Amino acid sequence: MTHLTIAMPKGRIFEEAYQMLIDAGFNLPEEVEMSRKLMIEIPEENIRFILAKPMDVPVYVEHGVADIGIAGKDVLLELKRNVHELLDLKISQCYIASAGLPNTSMNEIAPRIATKYPNIAMNYYKEIGEQVEIIELNGSIELAPMIGLADRIVDIVSTGRTLMENGLVEYEHITDVSSRLIANPVSYRMKSERIQEVVTRLKNLVN
Amino acid sequence: MSSIKMFEKPLGMRDTFPITYEKIEEVRQTGRKFLRARGFDFIETPSLEYFDTVGKASAIYDASLFKLVDSQGNTLVLRPDMTTPIARVATSKLLKEKIPLRLAYFANVFRAQQTEGGRPAEFGQMGIEIIGDSSVYADAETIITAIHLIQSFGIHSFKITIGHAGVLNCILKDYTESVEQAEKLRGLLVERNYVGFEEAVEQFHLPKTKSDALLQFIGEATNIVSIEHIEKYVRKNDALEYMQQLMELVSTANLSPYVALDFTLSSHMNYYTGMLFEVFAEGSGFALGNGGRYDGLLECFGSEVGATGFGIRVDRLLEVLPTKPTLDQQVAIIFEESQFTKALEMANHFRQQGKLVTVQSKKGLFDEEAFMKQFEKVVYVSQED
Repeated sequence: MTHLTIAMPKGRIFEEAYQMLIDAGFNLPEEVEMSRKLMIEIPEENIRFILAKPMDVPVYVEHGVADIGIAGKDVLLELKRNVHELLDLKISQCYIASAGLPNTSMNEIAPRIATKYPNIAMNYYKEIGEQVEIIELNGSIELAPMIGLADRIVDIVSTGRTLMENGLVEYEHITDVSSRLIANPVSYRMKSERIQEVVTRLKNLVN
Repeated sequence: MSSIKMFEKPLGMRDTFPITYEKIEEVRQTGRKFLRARGFDFIETPSLEYFDTVGKASAIYDASLFKLVDSQGNTLVLRPDMTTPIARVATSKLLKEKIPLRLAYFANVFRAQQTEGGRPAEFGQMGIEIIGDSSVYADAETIITAIHLIQSFGIHSFKITIGHAGVLNCILKDYTESVEQAEKLRGLLVERNYVGFEEAVEQFHLPKTKSDALLQFIGEATNIVSIEHIEKYVRKNDALEYMQQLMELVSTANLSPYVALDFTLSSHMNYYTGMLFEVFAEGSGFALGNGGRYDGLLECFGSEVGATGFGIRVDRLLEVLPTKPTLDQQVAIIFEESQFTKALEMANHFRQQGKLVTVQSKKGLFDEEAFMKQFEKVVYVSQED
């Protein structure tokens, strides 16, 4: 059996995706010790998991140090890495939206958008014909409109609770997001049987 | 902006150290001997070209071009590929002397980095172009030459995936309802976004027969074992027959195991009019090379004779190359001041035996022990002898 390296995002998505692989019939231990380990070997299946920050998964896959990986569509849209997008796993579903203080309109001269997705935000406003200025933040994006740093934020929304609790409302739905199975272009060819098998088994589970 | 330190180089620019240099040189010699034996003539073109000719016609994204301005105000580019300059020189000069042309190159090309390191911005490319032959045999020769060339480097775990722009366009046109839809799907295939392809098909609200056909096509088309499997999607057309013929030729050459079909293969440049392929080898995360028929590029330069070819990236070739020890023995002769003549004689003697000889005076050495470690053999020339 060809060896396979799978890049997984740390945290909540890992657990969901890992469970999916078990459900798809892969012989994986029920409990994995996650503590501080960054690599997990599964000799029974000849699989190695590497645990990365969600934003880094496409980077590992693009460089070919991981054959396949699980990455959020938000990350794929933001980074535009050269990877094959094989399957929508339909887990951790949410969406990207713009939000701001209620009943406000954007500054007419230079509207400011705070986000941790500068490319997605820029592309969206370009498409709707609005010239904006992007302010990149790394977290607690909701703060920006509250204290007057930005007119709108562009961020990921799952339930909308964080927005509500911070007194923000959603303005525009930008794009849907879910976790995707991605592959390195070379691995996709050189290990095509093995990868195709993973795709088929997961696909049956998704549909 | 922090100031630039003395050791820094522009992003993606690399030094070639002696060991790598020798490896590249070996690749060059192997490749050159191999291609010359097949009737390909090597040529070189300038590093700088006009943006309006080569820059615009090249398949490389505009943002990856290194641009400069000359003293007349013309925009120049550092050549981002070799195919376009060769198309320029062939159409303007060489085709008048000989047709078809079989040209080969081994040259550095330049592509600017936008995001991060880990990728060179200047790298060697080796390849061939067959210009002025539109027959399927020229395409077969290109693919066969590519396979044999890679084998000649001692690489055996590799794959060539072949598609055809004509077949793909026919499928996209037949199963969609507008040019915009077909173009959208083609764009998603260029990005290799199969999930997006499926989503787009569903959004188009096509008649069920059409959308089912497209969804089934995308599920199968990247892993087609034999050409018969694609026939059910395509009207009988020239492109399909062409591919059938091409695959037969490849199989006659006993090279089928190295070849796979992928009819979703598509390039962002639409001058790839016919068959196109990508080369993948185990050991590198990136494609080793690519090629195809580019009649459309020649049309940019005002010629309609047709052209096909491929290029292999030397930097990625080095990654997958099996390591071979260097065979030449390295000898050091360390001499004392009065023994210079004797040392020279001895060096000549060793050199005639094909050894690599370094002659070093004892006086000029800071650390004799460290120096000696770099050689397999050390000879002293001192007064006692």
